[in-house]
Amino acid sequence: MILWQGLLGAAFLLFWQAGASLGILDKFFFSRPGDIAARVWQLFAAGTVWSHLAVTLLEAALSFGIGVASGILAGFVLARNHFLAALFDPYIRVANALPRVVLAPIFLLWFGLGIWSKVALGVTVVFFIVFFNTFQGVREVDPVIVNNARMLGATERQLIRHVLIPSALTWIFSSLHISIGFAIIAVVVGEYLGASRGIGYLIAQAEGVFDTTGVFAGMAILAAVVLLVGWGVDRLERALLRWKPRAAASREVA
Amino acid sequence: MSNVTHQFAGYTAVEDVSLSVSQGRFVSVVGPSGCGKSTVLSIAAGLLAPTSGSVDVLGNRLEGINRRAAYMFQQDALLPWKTVLANITLGLEFRGMAVEAARGPALEWVRRAGLEGFENHYPHQLSGGMRKRVAMAQTWIVDPDIVLMDEPFGALDVHTRLRMESEILGLWSGSGKTVLFVTHDLEEAVALSDEVVVLSAGPASRVVGSYAVDLPRPRNLIDIRTDPEFNRIYTAIWRHLRTEVLKSYAS
Repeated sequence: MILWQGLLGAAFLLFWQAGASLGILDKFFFSRPGDIAARVWQLFAAGTVWSHLAVTLLEAALSFGIGVASGILAGFVLARNHFLAALFDPYIRVANALPRVVLAPIFLLWFGLGIWSKVALGVTVVFFIVFFNTFQGVREVDPVIVNNARMLGATERQLIRHVLIPSALTWIFSSLHISIGFAIIAVVVGEYLGASRGIGYLIAQAEGVFDTTGVFAGMAILAAVVLLVGWGVDRLERALLRWKPRAAASREVA
Repeated sequence: MSNVTHQFAGYTAVEDVSLSVSQGRFVSVVGPSGCGKSTVLSIAAGLLAPTSGSVDVLGNRLEGINRRAAYMFQQDALLPWKTVLANITLGLEFRGMAVEAARGPALEWVRRAGLEGFENHYPHQLSGGMRKRVAMAQTWIVDPDIVLMDEPFGALDVHTRLRMESEILGLWSGSGKTVLFVTHDLEEAVALSDEVVVLSAGPASRVVGSYAVDLPRPRNLIDIRTDPEFNRIYTAIWRHLRTEVLKSYAS
């Protein structure tokens, strides 16, 4: 399969390269894979990209960490407390329906041009994904297993630790896959709209001088980072969900 | 132990059920499907609070979970994310025992349940019969005064079921524990019990009969079903149960 996947990608790049070289695709708007690869290489060779990449990753990590922690916490509290869940329900819907991009200018005003305006934007995205999945995961715990644990003498805390968290983990993990990508997207959008560092800033700079190769180079670097981080989450998930039958595990997380 | 009395005057499931089980007895509850057998058991366990009426356990009014009781469920109730050993240890862990200290007794129960070599397997890697053995060890390890069983062997094939029934009887004999056993299978009920209680067809089912089963113990479950005395008792209860089953068909 990996072979076929590689072939598809290679064919796509080849057509792109050929199209741009033969003049079917306008080089000015589409650039060429070869040029983009050369630019990526240049950026890394010159070392200028590292500080931008570091800033973007730091922002993404912070918004991911804060978003996941607050999402899981809020998901647990609301799933266990029907009154609070009903009370907050309409407000959570409204907040989630809001397009996050429109928050970016507000966050810029509140938190300035530094990393925190991007982290805030990332958190608003990650939080809701993790929150909804955790909420669902805790609500959908098999009642028989909960009753069994209670009959065996579990206190509320033991119930959370031994039953609710492990059971919600599959749901939480499927949300992590999505939210890690979204965290990176959100902070890059934030950088794009106003920053002095970061990959999004690089892309905005390149766009400002109609440098499509630079824009695509930034995108390529981001794509590679997202793939790498996703792979890491996969490994962690496999270790933590060892108890799942293989087929079922991949089906639920897919 | 004084008497356990369940009085439950509800609107649908069970109505005005009174039942008392003396300490150390093995009592079965039978009735047509959907007659609220499981409801009675859940109330005895404290998992359900009765709409009205009350439950007394060993002389104390039951509020919340019944701490003197263990419960074997009809469905798979093992924690799928814990190994066999961790599942069996759970009850002791919940009671505040350190995991290392609980390991000894847990391994002893692994042995008694015939699960050696499977300590580190996860439930989904076991057969239905083995999962029931784990569930059995999980419930009995906490040494409860009362064991509540809700059709625990319903999903097993006939032979595995017979073996599990024998093992439950073996565990119970001489233990002094009180067992309340719910089943739809009258043969199983007569073979295992000291007393069989018949519930009427639901909704709003009641206790409509109680039969003593004074077959000698220990019983050989393989041969008991051909015993004339067994058949006499079985037929007597079946005559009664039959009318309830027919009523449940009609509705």
